[in-house]
Amino acid sequence: MNKTLNIKLNGIAYQESVPIRMLLVDFIRDRAGLTGTHIGCTYEGRCGACTVRVNGDAIKSCLMLAVQAEGCEVTTVEGLATGGKPHPLQEAFNERHALQCGFCTPGILMNAAEFLEKNPNPSEQEIRHSLIGNLCRCTGYVHIVEAISDASERMR
Amino acid sequence: MYPAIIDAYLAPTSVAEALGALGENPGATIFAGGQSVMQAIKARLVEPTCIVDLNGIAELKGVSVAAGGVTIGPMTRYADLNQETKLHGAYQAICDAATTVADRQVRNRGTIGGSICWNYLAACMPPTVLAMDAQLELTKAGGGTRTVAARDFFTGALDTARDDGELLTKISLAPPAAHAGSAYQKWSTQADGLPIIGVAVYLETDGGGSCISARMAFGGILPVTRRSPAGEKGLVGMKAGDKDGIGAALQAAADDIDPQGDRWVEGGYRKVLIKDLGRQVVTTAFKRAR
Amino acid sequence: MADRPFHDVPLAHAPQSHWVGKNFPRKEDGRLTAGKGRYLADLHMPGMGHLVFVRSSHAHARLTRVDTKAAAGMPGVLAVITGDQLKDEINGFPLPVVVPALPANYPKFWPLAVGKVRFHGEPVAAVVALDPYQAEDAALAVEIDYDPLPVVLDAEQALKPGAPLLHEDWDDNLMFEMTFTGGQTVEEQNRNDEEVEALFQQADIIIQESFKVHRCGVSPMETRGTLAIWDDSDGLTAHITTQRPHIDRLALADVLDIPAQQVRVIAPRDQGGGFGAKAPFYREPNLVCHMARKLGRPVRWVETREEHLMAVSQERDQTNYLELAATKDGKMLAIRNRGIGDAGDGCEGVYWGYLMPFLGAALLPNAYDLPKCDIKLKVAVTNKSATSPARSFGAFPTRFAMDRAVDMLAHKLGKDPADVRRQNLVAELPYTACTGVHYDSGDFPMTWDNLIREVDLPAFRKRQEDLRKEGRYIGIGFGVGAELSGVASEVLVPMENQPGYGAATVRIDPRGKVLLFEGDAPQGQGHETSLAQVAAHEFGIHPNDVVVTTGDTGVTPFGSGTIGARAGSYTASAVSEACRFLKKKMGRIMTHDLELEAGEDDFDFQDGEIIYSKDNNIRKSFMEMSNRIIMAPLNLPEGEEAGLEHTAFFEADKPMITFSSHAAMVEVDIATGQFEFTNYVTSEDTGTVINPLIVEGQVQGGVVQGISNALYEEFVYDENGQQLTTDYENYQVATAADVPPVRVTHAGVPCPHTPMGTRGLGEGLPGPVPAALSNAISDALLPFGIEITELPLRANRIWAAIQAATQQAAE
Repeated sequence: MNKTLNIKLNGIAYQESVPIRMLLVDFIRDRAGLTGTHIGCTYEGRCGACTVRVNGDAIKSCLMLAVQAEGCEVTTVEGLATGGKPHPLQEAFNERHALQCGFCTPGILMNAAEFLEKNPNPSEQEIRHSLIGNLCRCTGYVHIVEAISDASERMR
Repeated sequence: MYPAIIDAYLAPTSVAEALGALGENPGATIFAGGQSVMQAIKARLVEPTCIVDLNGIAELKGVSVAAGGVTIGPMTRYADLNQETKLHGAYQAICDAATTVADRQVRNRGTIGGSICWNYLAACMPPTVLAMDAQLELTKAGGGTRTVAARDFFTGALDTARDDGELLTKISLAPPAAHAGSAYQKWSTQADGLPIIGVAVYLETDGGGSCISARMAFGGILPVTRRSPAGEKGLVGMKAGDKDGIGAALQAAADDIDPQGDRWVEGGYRKVLIKDLGRQVVTTAFKRAR
Repeated sequence: MADRPFHDVPLAHAPQSHWVGKNFPRKEDGRLTAGKGRYLADLHMPGMGHLVFVRSSHAHARLTRVDTKAAAGMPGVLAVITGDQLKDEINGFPLPVVVPALPANYPKFWPLAVGKVRFHGEPVAAVVALDPYQAEDAALAVEIDYDPLPVVLDAEQALKPGAPLLHEDWDDNLMFEMTFTGGQTVEEQNRNDEEVEALFQQADIIIQESFKVHRCGVSPMETRGTLAIWDDSDGLTAHITTQRPHIDRLALADVLDIPAQQVRVIAPRDQGGGFGAKAPFYREPNLVCHMARKLGRPVRWVETREEHLMAVSQERDQTNYLELAATKDGKMLAIRNRGIGDAGDGCEGVYWGYLMPFLGAALLPNAYDLPKCDIKLKVAVTNKSATSPARSFGAFPTRFAMDRAVDMLAHKLGKDPADVRRQNLVAELPYTACTGVHYDSGDFPMTWDNLIREVDLPAFRKRQEDLRKEGRYIGIGFGVGAELSGVASEVLVPMENQPGYGAATVRIDPRGKVLLFEGDAPQGQGHETSLAQVAAHEFGIHPNDVVVTTGDTGVTPFGSGTIGARAGSYTASAVSEACRFLKKKMGRIMTHDLELEAGEDDFDFQDGEIIYSKDNNIRKSFMEMSNRIIMAPLNLPEGEEAGLEHTAFFEADKPMITFSSHAAMVEVDIATGQFEFTNYVTSEDTGTVINPLIVEGQVQGGVVQGISNALYEEFVYDENGQQLTTDYENYQVATAADVPPVRVTHAGVPCPHTPMGTRGLGEGLPGPVPAALSNAISDALLPFGIEITELPLRANRIWAAIQAATQQAAE
């Protein structure tokens, strides 16, 4: 069965008829065409590549039905830069070589963006702990942690 | 990967509305944080025809303290619980558990009530609320309520005393005693992973730091989370510094629980964990009871 | 001049480079951090059908019925196909193009099971529907009846008489066996065995142990996928998540009977990791392409993580019965090894589940001076998914075995494992290992000594002693790796029927910009940047003026793929050579135009200009010369053609290696067996480094994959062959909170056989890790006499070992 969904993605309002069973991540990728949010696991919702912000909270969009986001403001990685200016995290990730294949990166950026808003001056251990929900196979995490730390300085 | 076809989705904004929805749709699947139930739905282990989503019900969220005790709304998210100072001291185990569930994305959505009602073997909240001796209020369509003690609530794997058509509407904790403290810790192969063993301890002490009563509950054990009367008895009369006495109490608990072995971890090692985690948790509980 | 072999050409005499050795931020990152990557699952075509596989729920069974009627009638379904239908429509495996030139039993199979299934997860049928949700609904409606057969899940069990037979036209389950020891003939091999036995007889010390490594791999964050487009005029265009588009193209042509010139394979511009899991020629892309042709519409398959964990990424899974003979002074004399590899069902193009243990056995001697060895390998098929390559390619278990044996030797002798290791490192290069592997260059002792300085071993030993008195147990462990730096044709042709050369096309355009084409497809290694840096270095222009196109067989020269650390060693070298060819041409034409007394090498390319080295006042802009040669080719020198495009093929004279040494530090809690790795340091010889940050990232990533494999990841099959680890909750991958920071240091020498002195790096990095980790734990627990011989490393196992040792001591 379908339901009408009203949702804002990166500030743009959508009104779409969607199957109730449609996952939020599939709405974002296939209906809205925002393919920066990725799918890396099946039903388990473990990998974190699908992380977006719903009303500010970093959540796994594969563990939500699209209809659950009715009336919500959703930000994806495509909405991270504002006014054409990259987010300090995006700059820091580039400078610190905090990505290789880039597949896990959008999820990490969205998670880290919320994390730094709540924890403006995190220790290395706190940063590592905040990344438990984001699996990365390429980088070994070192540069990612350094980039998040750098970004936190820029954002303070 | 994808859910089976779902016919209806309802998002009530009040408990009354939710109960009405449950009454009209017997067998509906209830969504709390969804972090566990969505896994099951995507794996098609659960194929809901109707979903009743509780996330919009403000009255089910929040922690309050009154003369009658501490009340936790079942839809309170882990992210809000883990810093909740109203629980500090006596019921701080709940904060401990809420801090280490899964990852921060899960904690932004997952709820204490969802964890309790799902009652997964390795979950953190069931043993924690068991050790807190929580009283769980269940309300059914038509309005009748009943209260079930935590010790009667967790009946088996993924099974609780809650009937279909009942909502968990309140988690109540007794007013904290003058010197009461609790703590929870778990151990898993990975940082904050699903625990092999989780240990929750609540204890009360007299003015001089001696334990006058204790509750000790374990997660990750088959068939379901439970307390250890032998372990609890062993703690009575102990002080924080009574290493040997505490050790004996935890050994008694480990023998009493006699945890299962499986292809991953042998029962003997689970006992080691009960003692090791238990020691740390008891120490913290004593400190918080001061 | 033009035909001097490249290994004789000294490093380009260009002045200080702006670009080589620079941490140039990657060009890929802008789009990837903005969510503008273009991965396989991001590609759409109008009218595209979505393909979903129906996979076997049994590990070994006859298929008595596959009924697709109900599925075919469901909403949105375009087609359903079974193995019985497919076998009459396309060619099956094995096919020569994906069969190595090595003697082995090659199983017959089709992309969908025909007659029987051999592992839990083997594709049995496929559904194509308009929507992936509907495809899954229909897939669940396919009815399959199985007649179960007994299962065999252990390679040694599979080799016993009477074991259930997987491939019923074989005599037994032995897929491959090999001896890696002196000689091609049986006589020569027997003689070698005797010589080795004689050495063992003389030896003062013999270490004898079995080393078992579990089944694990390096599943990338992006799963596999294929988008196939059929056009009656153009033929097949297949977008595939592959490390090897040029190989896939030939194989698809053969399977589907399409003339090769009508098959184009494009690896998507962005891929989310490979690590070997995207190197084989698998079942699935064949079916997707076939269905696109059959239906006359594009078809896309995006693998789920569950499929991925069931069907691919399973590697390691070896037992090595190793014996090491040494003198009482610690000098190693010989090794003898009996290796058992598990190929799974072996049904996998290019690697067939056995090439990894093959290479692992060849690399067993590692960086040690071992004049003689007797290494024998057997690889069996079992009811598991075909073992597929994972980074370190077969050597993860053999590195573990060898470097644990070195530590065990040191413990027996009462010496520091660091000293015994150093004593036995190959000191003189070039060197040919007793298995025939050639080590071209490097300075192992120097790189190793740097590691020892970096970890300050004497201070660690002091601290270790002090802490033991307090009842605390810390340890340090080492591992080394002489890893392949690219794979020479000399090795790759017999091993995989494929060449090893690196190839690159460099095209300068009239505006002085450069287009670079290479046939290998990266999945995060940063080729777009590092190869641009090479071209920029050569031409004296900016890397932003160089655009790199990869992995499209329609426009790139042949490349064997992103395997074996080829890019830094072979591909970058081909880029360099192609650039130098063009530089010489520009030099000749400039000489002619300006009537100079100059040879083609008398020009410096710098800051966008071409400068006559004998007179700096004589210079022309790079852009001006490009335009002149391409757009205004008048009055060219005698015999010279217009245009500035060249394809170079680089092959080193002899196979090359990269040396890496690792140290891990750990503290173990003896009450619980729990352990924490506090530090991990590497010392690398990576030759000339193009981009230091990229190299550092490769090392950190490779080490963490090794840690994740050794500690957390494990594919588990139950007694009925049911795979229990098909999601990321059960197949545990290390998170940022699970691993220590990895510090990368360098101490190396430029490679004399590549134009810029670069070495390839990446493939072998996880190899030394399991030994470093388990040597650290064994070092910490030396007072208990515990020697780790089996992976994974788990707290409960270590606790049990401590219990056993303590009990034994008490008796």
